[in-house]
Amino acid sequence: GFQEDQVALKLAHTLDQQHSVHRAMVFMGERLRELSGDSMRIDIYSGGQLGSERELIELLQIGSLAMTKVSASPMEGFVPEMKVFNLPYVFRDSEHFWNVLQSPIGKDLLVACERARLRGLGYLDAGSRSFYMNDIGVQTPADLNGQKIRVQNSQTAIKMVNTLGGAATPVSWGELYTALQQGVVNGAENNPPSFYLSKHYEVSKYYTLDEHTYVPDLLLISTEVWGKLEPQQQAWLQQAVDEAVVYQRKLWQESTEESLAAVKAAGVEVIYPDKQPFIDAVKPLHDSYKGTEVGDLLAEIKAIN
Amino acid sequence: MEVAVLVLLVSFLILLALNVPISISIGAATVLTMLCTIDFDPAMITMAQRMASGIDSFALLAIPFFIFSGMLMGSGGIARRIIDFAKVLVGMLPGGLAFVNIISCTLFGSISGSAVAATSAIGGFMIPSMTKAGYDKNFNTAVTVASSTTGLLIPPSNILIVFSLASGGVSIAALFIAGYLPGLLLALGLMIVCGLWAKAKGYPVGEKPTLKEAVEKTLDAVPSLFLIFIVIGGIISGFFTATEASAIAVLYSLLLSCVVYKEVKFTQLPALLTKSVETTAIVMFLIAASSAMSWIMSYQNIPQTISQALITLSDNPLLILLTINLILLAVGAFMDMTPAVLIFTPIFLPVVTELGMSPLQFGIVMILNLCIGLCTPPVGSVLFVGASISKTSITALIRPLMPMYLMMFAVLALVTLVPAISEFLPRALGLIE
Amino acid sequence: MMQKIEKALAIVLGTLLALMVLDVTWQILTRFLPMQPSSYTEEVARYLLVWIGVLGGAYAYRKRSHLGIDLLSNALHGAKRRALQIFVVLVCFAFAASAMVYGGTKLMLLTFELEQYSAALNLPIGFVYSVLPLSGLLICLFSVDHLIELVTTKEELPTEFDSDVHPYTDGLEEESTSVQKEKQKQPEAAVEA
Ligand code: NA
Ligand code: NA
Repeated sequence: GFQEDQVALKLAHTLDQQHSVHRAMVFMGERLRELSGDSMRIDIYSGGQLGSERELIELLQIGSLAMTKVSASPMEGFVPEMKVFNLPYVFRDSEHFWNVLQSPIGKDLLVACERARLRGLGYLDAGSRSFYMNDIGVQTPADLNGQKIRVQNSQTAIKMVNTLGGAATPVSWGELYTALQQGVVNGAENNPPSFYLSKHYEVSKYYTLDEHTYVPDLLLISTEVWGKLEPQQQAWLQQAVDEAVVYQRKLWQESTEESLAAVKAAGVEVIYPDKQPFIDAVKPLHDSYKGTEVGDLLAEIKAIN
Repeated sequence: MEVAVLVLLVSFLILLALNVPISISIGAATVLTMLCTIDFDPAMITMAQRMASGIDSFALLAIPFFIFSGMLMGSGGIARRIIDFAKVLVGMLPGGLAFVNIISCTLFGSISGSAVAATSAIGGFMIPSMTKAGYDKNFNTAVTVASSTTGLLIPPSNILIVFSLASGGVSIAALFIAGYLPGLLLALGLMIVCGLWAKAKGYPVGEKPTLKEAVEKTLDAVPSLFLIFIVIGGIISGFFTATEASAIAVLYSLLLSCVVYKEVKFTQLPALLTKSVETTAIVMFLIAASSAMSWIMSYQNIPQTISQALITLSDNPLLILLTINLILLAVGAFMDMTPAVLIFTPIFLPVVTELGMSPLQFGIVMILNLCIGLCTPPVGSVLFVGASISKTSITALIRPLMPMYLMMFAVLALVTLVPAISEFLPRALGLIE
Repeated sequence: MMQKIEKALAIVLGTLLALMVLDVTWQILTRFLPMQPSSYTEEVARYLLVWIGVLGGAYAYRKRSHLGIDLLSNALHGAKRRALQIFVVLVCFAFAASAMVYGGTKLMLLTFELEQYSAALNLPIGFVYSVLPLSGLLICLFSVDHLIELVTTKEELPTEFDSDVHPYTDGLEEESTSVQKEKQKQPEAAVEA
């Protein structure tokens, strides 16, 4: 039973309840209860019932929602430095990616959220994104030539696909299954669990693991709500978050492997291309950021091991 | 939580009864409910944000476009050509003009997204001509009213787009295809009713058209009917998405009415635009307010509470489905379709999916339910339009409508009990698993 | 003055709808013409729709075409009906003033202050939200005008918001010039559907 004097934090996200993120959030809620001796709890609203990611971020700023999990992608509109995550081939591999997130660069990016009245509590794993196509197995960037590829509505994502030779076509996530099926677009890009859970593998039979972007998920709390918590409560919450982050990375790994196995079983050809031609192809895009805030960040990231 | 449910329900019903516009009743009730748990400033800002983001949706674009193209079809001679074509098909059968009426409404419905547009465009011409041929005026009106609701099931359909939004993203393309069989079944059922009625009353048989006439009328209707292929064919073959199809429908109707048939002058377009935008705004403002209401309902876990209560009501799934159908019918009697779909989808959808019904089938069941409501007093927009076109009273329409209500119930029962009626076509076309 | 605002609103809204048609047509065309598929048309269309929906809400309010349930108000006459009508206008005013003008202004300023930009056009989101206070102000203005009319008119005025839809045949009849007391329902007003 809920105690009357319990501190209840409302957390909303846009993923369904099977997703590793949701399961980690449930775990986080349980840990917070235990740590706080039942004096704090988290109420979770899944599946976008309280709004899209952009709207949820805004609700945190407004103060009617305490916490949310969003992709770094819509954060571009609030914290421009986040653009760096949407650039292709910023990270060499998963290890480099996590080293950067745990370095001062990653911590500074979380702190940068404070300007937008958001406190970044931690990064969650959302893996790396790769291309999936209906009819062609992409081996080199040249294979993408003229192909209509669905991207998220983000300038950086659009530039990336166009630089690689494809024709970036923004289509909303809800319309994507039918858009793929009917050939409005020839392909799209996402991480393995999303490719699997969205059933897009029923239409797109070629999955090229070129791993062009690593876009992390962010766990955010409204600075106003955070400020009202006592230092001890803040510490409990941060500890619950830190434990959930570790737990979610493990779940994510499992779910990635399961998803890849499942799509292979469903007849999808999974291709492991040579990444160098892709990396070379996006060099002009990296160069175009020289001298900007994002460009400096890019150079710092590349310098990290 | 219980307090919030009470505040929401009581304030909404009181404002509604006192003649506050539905959209503002929804908005004001939502604001009051928000104030139960959220401070004043964040509550007001959240309300504003939910209203704007509720209509910040690409899928909803189809609504103004189909409203605009429906308006063009009514004034641009497209409706009249469809009627002429239907006469060639079934005009010579016993009770033939009633069949013409139903087929015209169904064909019109398959190119436009609105039942009121069908009633006014087809009824405006068919009701007087049937009366002249010796049919009873109230019967003619009843036929038009009942059969124009088929257009809400047969794509394109604005209300199915609204359902897709309210259900959290059931595919619009799948919903559109799912609506065909139930819509045609409804049209067929109504034709049976009319055949029997016409036989009992000894209504006249129409003239058989000469071959030359038949060919001429058919050819004349081809460009209008071609819109079906453009809209549906375009979606299925991947030239454009369901939303983009609505813009194509606007362009094509513009081309037909202004250039080909020349029945709309370019100088008349601004007036048509203004009228379309006003109708659009009524619907969008409702969606904006309802989106805020469904937000506060989720925030307070109201849908879960109600669906939990419904599920514990009985362990017989049929009884629960019957209860839901009866509630929807009662709602439809008093409330217009858009607010009803927006308010009740989040409440009932979790219940029916728990019972194993697909969201797709539930969408069709819900719309069919509310279609009946459009033809019943006290609040039924299609009924009102029909009555005012034929200058008859609502009460005089009830008697001829009775057998049609019965047929609509029968179709509703079938569609509720047999998932295949809704799911066969979308599955065959690979739109669902 | 009110008539002028109403006329201007009609022109602005009609133009926005026409722009929306052109925008989506362009979006389809760019996928078939030898050029990059357009990346901003979807966002433009969505924001135009927000403007049409919210600003149009004020226009429809002015035209008394929002749907309502009029069973009770039709049964009332004389002072009671007038009291009810005044109450309705006050509720509309209160809602528009609190949620749209106050909440909307705060929302707009918040997004300007925290520098939130749209994904495709890099447009400050505050411009999109500015339609809320604008439309709210118009509803307040129309409410006051209506209130003055209710208080000063001797004879009984018709029900404000009904569920009735008046017939139309071709949707082209000229805008009636009679005062807006003479209700002119739009063709599909009740539909939605
Ligand atoms: Na239709
Ligand atoms: Na009704």
